[in-house]
Amino acid sequence: MRPSAVTPAAATLLVVVLLAVGCAGPAATPAPVSGTPTGAAPVTTGAPPTPAGTPSPSGPFNGTDIAWLQLTVAMHERVLPLLDLVPERTAEPAVRRLAVRVRETHRADLDRSRRLLDRSGAPQTNPHEGHDMPGMVTATELTTLGTAPDAEFRRLFGEHLRAHLEQSVRVATAEQRSGADPDTTALAGAVARTGTGYLSQLAQLPG
Amino acid sequence: MERAAPLHALRRRLRFVTLLGALLALLGGYAVIERAEPAEARIVRVAEFLADCPYSHRLPDDPIIYPGLPGASHMHSFFGATTTNAYTNLADLLNSNTTCNPRVDVSSYWVPTLYADNVPVEPAIVTFYYLGEGVRSDIVANTQPLPLGLRIVAGNARATGPDSTTISRWSCLHAGHVGASKDFVNCPSGTMLESYLDFPQCWNGRDLDSPDHKSHMAYPVNQACPPTHPVAVPKLRQVLRYPVSGDPARFRLASGGGFTMHGDFFNAWPEAEMLRRVQDCIRPVIKCGADGRSS
Repeated sequence: MRPSAVTPAAATLLVVVLLAVGCAGPAATPAPVSGTPTGAAPVTTGAPPTPAGTPSPSGPFNGTDIAWLQLTVAMHERVLPLLDLVPERTAEPAVRRLAVRVRETHRADLDRSRRLLDRSGAPQTNPHEGHDMPGMVTATELTTLGTAPDAEFRRLFGEHLRAHLEQSVRVATAEQRSGADPDTTALAGAVARTGTGYLSQLAQLPG
Repeated sequence: MERAAPLHALRRRLRFVTLLGALLALLGGYAVIERAEPAEARIVRVAEFLADCPYSHRLPDDPIIYPGLPGASHMHSFFGATTTNAYTNLADLLNSNTTCNPRVDVSSYWVPTLYADNVPVEPAIVTFYYLGEGVRSDIVANTQPLPLGLRIVAGNARATGPDSTTISRWSCLHAGHVGASKDFVNCPSGTMLESYLDFPQCWNGRDLDSPDHKSHMAYPVNQACPPTHPVAVPKLRQVLRYPVSGDPARFRLASGGGFTMHGDFFNAWPEAEMLRRVQDCIRPVIKCGADGRSS
């Protein structure tokens, strides 16, 4: 019969039109009902969203690993100029010796961190570069240190190095708990261990 | 039904033709619909819904930038979900209490803490607007819901000075003559310092986050979403009113100067609530309140 033939055809056309405007987004958007103005061509995407959680880097690295490695690179890079100032600003042998040891350890940790970051496939640009984070010596503080007399320098140096080491140990300990990549958590263990050792040596320095 | 009289059948055909016609009118031009609609005085033609989410708590944590690393961040002030910390994931948010009105919004929002004379100050008024603006009206009419679990970071925490890339603005509530600035402004006594920040509203349609936490989202270009980020979602506008005024030299953010203002958003709106608001407020360009109804 004619009416029943026309009806399904019209209904099919309707469905097709609705689908075309229906913006079949990933979040299961139902087709718009009348009253919902839809003027433009649909903006559609085929792939479903990635599951919740930290962004998925390649291999065994999780979001904590990447964040900790990037932060460690930024923090260690920032503390090197502070250590570099030591020979020219103080004659105190114990301070000079500690600065040399911390510097060597940090240089090695930096190399390991950078290699692990390369392996992780994380973006090359460090999101924390140039950013004053807790425990970091600022450019202004560094300028002050560059002209401070010996005793004043040693006091400020002690404060800044302690802040840096305490923060390093804090985040390295967290990385040991929440990281996934075994090499990265092992490095975090080393950073926490050496940092704790340097903190006690720092506390024993002559005032 | 099969025995329907010819007149009846004709009516039915007419009905479908009318329906199709209406649909084509919808497709053809949104302006037609607007004119055809009865003028209801109480409907304001602004594509908007909102959530008022007072201050919840402070922590030196950031579950987007430093997941799993408590204490790694500068100090943040959190709004919305009351449990957010360095370990927070979507499931935690969905089970969390919230400071938001509406209560269904268990999303987490956070910003660097503001300090006045080195004492933390929390905003007295915290509003998150979800807007259909910044793109052409035909794109607004096609806005997609913000996907559950989406994470967005806006602003530049690492900025070393106000520049052309600074998106956040500072101004004064009830003192418009002061104007908007990329850095702190000097608000007259009795007014409040306010911060505006618009989040990117074009999504790549695929990722809820990205390794740099930025590249899955983009700002519109020439009133349209770029081909790399084709999905238009509501624009989140964060508006914070701080109960402080006067000399900006007293102020700093945990991340640095006023130009380092940034905002983090972890979307945990229930999908049905988000979709209803997009359908009822954003696409038809209707100003809605916290309940997602015409206000």
